Amino acid sequence: MKTLVTQLGRILALVLLAGLASAVLMRWSPGTLVDERELDPRMSQETLTALRANRAAENSIGAGFVHYLKGAMRGDLGESTSRNAPIADLLTQNAPATLRRLGIGLAGAWLGGLGMAILVARFRQSWLLESAVSMTAGTLLSLPAAVLAYFCLTAGIAVETVLILVLVPRVFRFSRNLLVQAYGSSHIDMARARGISETRILFGHVLRSAAPQMAALVAASLSMAVGAIIPIEAICDAAGLGRLAWQAAMSRDLPLLVNLTMLIAMVATAAMAIAELAPLRPGESS
Amino acid sequence: MKSARPAQLFAIVFLTFVGISALVPRLWTPDSYETQLREALDAPPSARFPLGTDALGRDRMARLLYGTRVSLALAPAAALLSCLVAALVGGLAGLAGGWTERTVLASVDLFMSLPWLFLLLTVRAMLPLNVSPLVSLGITFGLLGLLSWPASARVVRAAIHALRDSDFILQARASGVTPWRLISRQLIPNVMPVLLAQFWIAVPVFILAEATLGMLGLGVSEPLPSWGSMLRELEGGNLRAQPWIAAPAVLLAAVVGCFQLIFPREDYSI
Repeated sequence: MKTLVTQLGRILALVLLAGLASAVLMRWSPGTLVDERELDPRMSQETLTALRANRAAENSIGAGFVHYLKGAMRGDLGESTSRNAPIADLLTQNAPATLRRLGIGLAGAWLGGLGMAILVARFRQSWLLESAVSMTAGTLLSLPAAVLAYFCLTAGIAVETVLILVLVPRVFRFSRNLLVQAYGSSHIDMARARGISETRILFGHVLRSAAPQMAALVAASLSMAVGAIIPIEAICDAAGLGRLAWQAAMSRDLPLLVNLTMLIAMVATAAMAIAELAPLRPGESS
Repeated sequence: MKSARPAQLFAIVFLTFVGISALVPRLWTPDSYETQLREALDAPPSARFPLGTDALGRDRMARLLYGTRVSLALAPAAALLSCLVAALVGGLAGLAGGWTERTVLASVDLFMSLPWLFLLLTVRAMLPLNVSPLVSLGITFGLLGLLSWPASARVVRAAIHALRDSDFILQARASGVTPWRLISRQLIPNVMPVLLAQFWIAVPVFILAEATLGMLGLGVSEPLPSWGSMLRELEGGNLRAQPWIAAPAVLLAAVVGCFQLIFPREDYSI
């Protein structure tokens, strides 16, 4: 329970820090204090002074962030400057598609990556299999997600498949190393000597002993997937949070970017916390 | 493992060949990356233009070679910057311990709580987008260097931590060696292999990151070529009718693949 509370506190602190850091960056980013209305020759000196005072108050980091947090408690995340729409609405409209893609992408990547890793680790004497799979993984790792997205778009392949192609080699390489390490331990040799079947060795011993690191890898793969979804959705022009983040960056929609930063920080730190809460060894609680 | 050596040798030879070609592009093409040949707009590959020309009549081969120079020269520069920051921050945390160490670890956690590409995208967006090519070059690679130190800093901190409590450091301290001499003669030489490994791991990661930023329109501005800005042509082009426009992607994959062969790592950045 204590660990759970500590992790929740850590998530909250990191999310707030990420939000505050974005607010500081936003305040000091070039052009923040510039208002196009100031160029309007019809504006009187008094109006200009009032506009500047308003803008300075809006851009006060401490007060602005507290004001934002109060609004966020009521579900008001502010207004997108590029779309003139409530940010909460934009997030709720775009989140389902991205979540669905992330779900399919992660499931596919884990099925493919772990499946290949099991094959390679189980038959690690097979030079041909190891070389073929490693070469495919290496080629996929050598291409940026945006390029893979473009190639898949040209070939008419679904967006989710691009995410799978981006994540599979990463999941494969990490899990193969874990499984090869687990297969190399002496208790596996002992189990073989006692005539235990390979299937039982795999599920009862190898996967079990690699489980804690695999849990950490699940969290890391979620972070990787969130990073990859931005170029994929942007290149494939698929509606979702990734494309929203890219469009916000291109139009310098800083309020939207701050909200996305906090949302993504929350998801990533929560995933990391869940991985850390996983038992260190099978059957052992932390 | 027996086949790893020839593969690594091949990778080194290939990278050297690419590096020399990028340093001396005139070996392959007489044109500059910005020369616009109005009589040869969108020309297909020929003896004069091995990769054809783009919509503005610029020799793609020249742009690819100059772009390779930009990417291959600045990715190591950004990696060096990242390693320097990591050495400073990680070294300070490892040596000082206590609150300094906890603060550094908290800031590392903060940086690492966000996917790196998203962080890059956000910070890049907060800086001016409509800038000269040289400024965009500085911003892109400067950001890569300044935003990627946390993972390396954590490794350096761990290394310094282990060294701090080692027998030879204790002995040096007991012999009255000054802190500066201890750092320069004992700690830095012992941490150097760790930093060198981090440096070589970062180079291909930065090459890929620049390519992604470039494809998203947040990298190096035109007319200066880089692999990222050249890959943008894929979006407007027709890959089936003009397969040669994929040349930057092929070269990028080959170069990063060679780095992988020489310095294997599980996770290359997205």
